[in-house]
Amino acid sequence: MTKRRMFLRMITASLLRRRSRMLIALLSIGIGATILAGLVTIYYDVPRQMRSQMRSYGANMLVMPAEGETLTGETLDEALAQFPEDALVGAAPYRYVRLDMTSRQQSFTTAGTDFEQVRKTSPYFSVEGRYPEATREILVGKEIAETIGVKVGSEMELTWQPSASNAQGEASDDWTPGASLTGSAEGWSGGAVSVSTRLDDEGRIAEITVDASTQTAEFGGRAQTDEAFLGQFVGKKLPLRLTGVTDENAGAGIRTAMTAAPEGSDEVDALTGATVTSSAVVNALNGARAATAANQPRTMKYTVSGILVTGGEEEGYVFMALSDLENLTGEDRLDVAELSVSAEEDQLNAYAEQLTGGDIGVTARLVKRVTKSETAVLGKLQALVFLVTAVVLLLTMICVSTTMMAVVSERRREIGLRKALGASDNSIRSEFLGEGIFLGTLGGVLGAILGFVFAQVVSVNVFGSSITFQPLLLPVTVIVSVAIAAVSCLAPIKRAVAIDPALVLKGE
Amino acid sequence: MSLLELKNVSKIYGELKALDNVSLHVDKGEWVAIMGPSGSGKSTMMNIIGCMDKPTKGEVLLDGVDISKESSKHLTDIRRDKIGLIFQQFHMVNYLTAVENVMVSQYYHSMPDEAEALEALGRVGLRERARHLPSQLSGGEQQRVCVARALINHPELILADEPTGNLDEANENIVLDLFRQLHREGTTLIVVTHDPEVAEAAQRTIVLEHGRVAKEVINENFVE
Repeated sequence: MTKRRMFLRMITASLLRRRSRMLIALLSIGIGATILAGLVTIYYDVPRQMRSQMRSYGANMLVMPAEGETLTGETLDEALAQFPEDALVGAAPYRYVRLDMTSRQQSFTTAGTDFEQVRKTSPYFSVEGRYPEATREILVGKEIAETIGVKVGSEMELTWQPSASNAQGEASDDWTPGASLTGSAEGWSGGAVSVSTRLDDEGRIAEITVDASTQTAEFGGRAQTDEAFLGQFVGKKLPLRLTGVTDENAGAGIRTAMTAAPEGSDEVDALTGATVTSSAVVNALNGARAATAANQPRTMKYTVSGILVTGGEEEGYVFMALSDLENLTGEDRLDVAELSVSAEEDQLNAYAEQLTGGDIGVTARLVKRVTKSETAVLGKLQALVFLVTAVVLLLTMICVSTTMMAVVSERRREIGLRKALGASDNSIRSEFLGEGIFLGTLGGVLGAILGFVFAQVVSVNVFGSSITFQPLLLPVTVIVSVAIAAVSCLAPIKRAVAIDPALVLKGE
Repeated sequence: MSLLELKNVSKIYGELKALDNVSLHVDKGEWVAIMGPSGSGKSTMMNIIGCMDKPTKGEVLLDGVDISKESSKHLTDIRRDKIGLIFQQFHMVNYLTAVENVMVSQYYHSMPDEAEALEALGRVGLRERARHLPSQLSGGEQQRVCVARALINHPELILADEPTGNLDEANENIVLDLFRQLHREGTTLIVVTHDPEVAEAAQRTIVLEHGRVAKEVINENFVE
């Protein structure tokens, strides 16, 4: 038999055959380790748990267009793609316009948004009735509802006035079916070319008349009469792009006609030998479209699906689906997007900087009120758990130390005997330390398992969500328990080593 | 040839002279009894010989080494290597079996060897009881385990403190017979006792009084 085996045999015998005493020591370590492992788990899980709870306080980041840029659905999607999928709780786009309710001579700030996202970014919104689901359903703030006396199910006619403050950007493709437009643009050597047109029910050009009398008859003048040239306009949708120009040194008018309309728009070929006049026709049509689109008020009828109660300024707004608002205004731009991001403040700042610094054309900033209070609450909560953990650690150490102390005084005679039999101080030390480490390991394993159960119970009862087992917890808890047991044994061991072997002879 | 020699040894606790200028000489293989009333200095002498205490004055030579000046760490080494101890209270590790108790002594000395430990128990007639805990053994049996433990490392000197003090007559005789055997094998024995009968079993008796050697008696009837 080796010395090591005898060593283990003595220690296990000591632990197994002196059960009651060792059970108390094991229990004190085990309970300490349990609470410790549980608290550490909670300590690391609290931010995750609480952060999702905290997200109910609303959006914590705003994304706006960078200076000189426009924010659209596409740019927003591009911006959102920068976030890891699990960090983004929700992102609600907003477009604010004033809409008139002519029948009441009132006008309201109306927000176009995505209601599915609003529910995620503003979970505190309370809706009497329900969120809009079908098209042309709207949500009316409580304040407005009370002022004008609408209820769930009421209908409201809202009008968009393309005034100076509202009219911005491009009109959509299907804006004015059946309208007649007139416009003019500068042609060859400064002469004006006028165009009048009528659109069919689908917004396509049905008829077109060109007055090119200011142009040279045998060149630009043909634009007025050339049936092949004029014929190609019929059935096309505005805006148009001019093609068939090969002169690379074309003037400003031609370049505008070639590029003003977005790519993918319908195209018309220039009249050979009359490219400037052709461009004037296209420019006149595009200009007429823009001018009419911007100036024509449009009215639509909406059904109130719900009354919004927030207790805040949102109660003074009307909310509708972004697609409904775009149909009304013919614009697809956004003013701002409210993001709810699950991350700590530093990480949020990093995201915001990444977005602002990127080339998407947006700026992002944090809603300080939310992020600051979130950080503060989390910090305090973690500090509390940390403090409790430290106290438990201390109590465990005291408890284990006391137990070991009792063990030593109980075993004074045995220690004296061992010394009389020739045990060196180091032997005594390693025997007691061995027992302590053995207890620490056992208690640590016990504690890691029970601690996880404990944390799970706390998590389910307090936060209503379960936690995943951290495999690292087991070795860490065991190591900490062993360390605690070892440190707790130091004072008792010192006492054990100081015992005089002669006491066994005194017949005590 | 002398194994143990005390030269003018004194042990003073404050005012009290527990040992007062004692000289003693024990040969290798000799069997010496030490007698004396309580407070005569027996225990102090025992502690000094057993390397568990150091004299205030004088020299103690054990196997030629002066142990009066050694550090306590060295004393432990010397005790482990040269001395087998037997106590009045039996003193066993109460959660270890008889054979394990014997093996503890081996463990501190060199290597635990269960077979050898069982053989030693066989020698004291306890082979069958080797797996019993002390609480399952009678006093006499416990003391015999202690004898087996004391002799397991083949010490130069067996030092017994009232070895029969807590035993009945039958067990006392068994222990004394074991001592006789050990003596025949050449082991040096020093036995501290109150009991004249135990003292008479030895070759020579030293009587201590007030920390001094009062008299020394050679046992004429000693049976080899």
